[in-house]
Amino acid sequence: MDALNKIITWMPQLLNGAKMTIIITILSVAIGLVLSLFLALGKMSKNPIINKPCSAYIFFFRGTPLLMQIYFIYFGLPQFNPALTIKSAFVAAMIAYTLNSAAYLAENIRAGIQSIDKGQNEAAKALGMTYGQTMRYIIIPQTVRRLIPPVGNEFIMVLKDVSLVAIIGLSDLTKVTRAISSSSATALVYIPAMIIYLIITAVFSFIFNRLEKKYSVYE
Amino acid sequence: MSYIKTEALCKDFGDLKVLKDVNLTVEQGEVIVIIGPSGAGKSTFLRSLNTLETITSGKIFIEDELFVHAEKGKVIGGMSKEKHKALLLEMGMVFQRFNLFPHLSVRDNVKIAPIKVKNMDPEAADKLALELLAKVGLSDKADAYPNNLSGGQQQRVAIARALAMEPKIMLFDEPTSALDPELVGEVLNVMKDLAKQGMTMICVTHEMGFAREVADRVVFMYDGVILEEGTPAEMFENPKTDKAKQFLNSVL
Repeated sequence: MDALNKIITWMPQLLNGAKMTIIITILSVAIGLVLSLFLALGKMSKNPIINKPCSAYIFFFRGTPLLMQIYFIYFGLPQFNPALTIKSAFVAAMIAYTLNSAAYLAENIRAGIQSIDKGQNEAAKALGMTYGQTMRYIIIPQTVRRLIPPVGNEFIMVLKDVSLVAIIGLSDLTKVTRAISSSSATALVYIPAMIIYLIITAVFSFIFNRLEKKYSVYE
Repeated sequence: MSYIKTEALCKDFGDLKVLKDVNLTVEQGEVIVIIGPSGAGKSTFLRSLNTLETITSGKIFIEDELFVHAEKGKVIGGMSKEKHKALLLEMGMVFQRFNLFPHLSVRDNVKIAPIKVKNMDPEAADKLALELLAKVGLSDKADAYPNNLSGGQQQRVAIARALAMEPKIMLFDEPTSALDPELVGEVLNVMKDLAKQGMTMICVTHEMGFAREVADRVVFMYDGVILEEGTPAEMFENPKTDKAKQFLNSVL
């Protein structure tokens, strides 16, 4: 019973850490999703002034370690130009995770859009729709369902990647767990912490499964 | 006044010359059926008319006005953008694979273009959609989704969807080729009704019975050119070219 009591006393701290983890995950994936739509459309543009920068962006953020991106945004940028100093570690983390997930999501969105039969484009064009109307009313609504599994996947990836924020001093669930473990000189705290991660993952998976079912009505 | 006319229309895909100097004039209210073996360029020709394919060279006129003029793969002339767009809206197209929008109900498939492209009042568009669905015999399917319909039903919805833009000409690109044989009749019947109502139509099809019964003129394409054209009687009873004879022997 001693163990259980310990876990109960740690719980408020753990839940606080979990809160930080969840907030960063949801916000950065949600904002990243909006950004990624523009990146994906940009990368598919025929105009090199638009598609080259978008491709370069995606290449950069997928090709360098997230940990390094976090370091660079928080510690590196101010050295290049003090105006780029980000005082809040939370904001710096948000920027890093958002920019990073946008790059990954953009590739998913692009694949989703390109997986739609080209007959859909032709039918929309034959009905007089512009490119923008075709994307908005015909193509993107059809990619939404196909995007749900990869977006759910991205959520779960980011959820665990958020453990990297400890390096810029934020207290997410992993950081809190480690702190408790060293101060209480026991590894016991890892068990409830991992269970909390699994519960969050299970909830996300559940929500995304429901969304997928909801959007499958026409298939 | 002809409705649509092509002059020396050419289309290349890389080194492959798919259309070589196609000249065709279609009068208002005329029903043209284009026949010919696969690879003759029938579909490409049809798709060139409504600019789904950009022609390599040649001219397309609509109501005697220059609609598209291309040389060396570049559109070099034509009418003002607004006029061009307006005329494009007057061409309805029906595809071999229907291309209905799977995420929209049947009713929404029919009314989305009038609402979004023509800014039609949504209630008026809904009424129009139901009228058109009644016309193609699918009133009871208005709220179904395309994937719950048979191929023949889907194609009839696709026809209703094209009609919702109130086209002056309908282009049919092998509308029955993807259908099970027992579903072909229902689609052809809708097309026959349209023809009776005076719609100008260009149909690429392998349905020779339809061509014989409905066409004002049958056009035989072979290897990117129009080899022969004539009334169904001339074409089917007395084809002039050997290629047409061979083709008709193989399909009749």
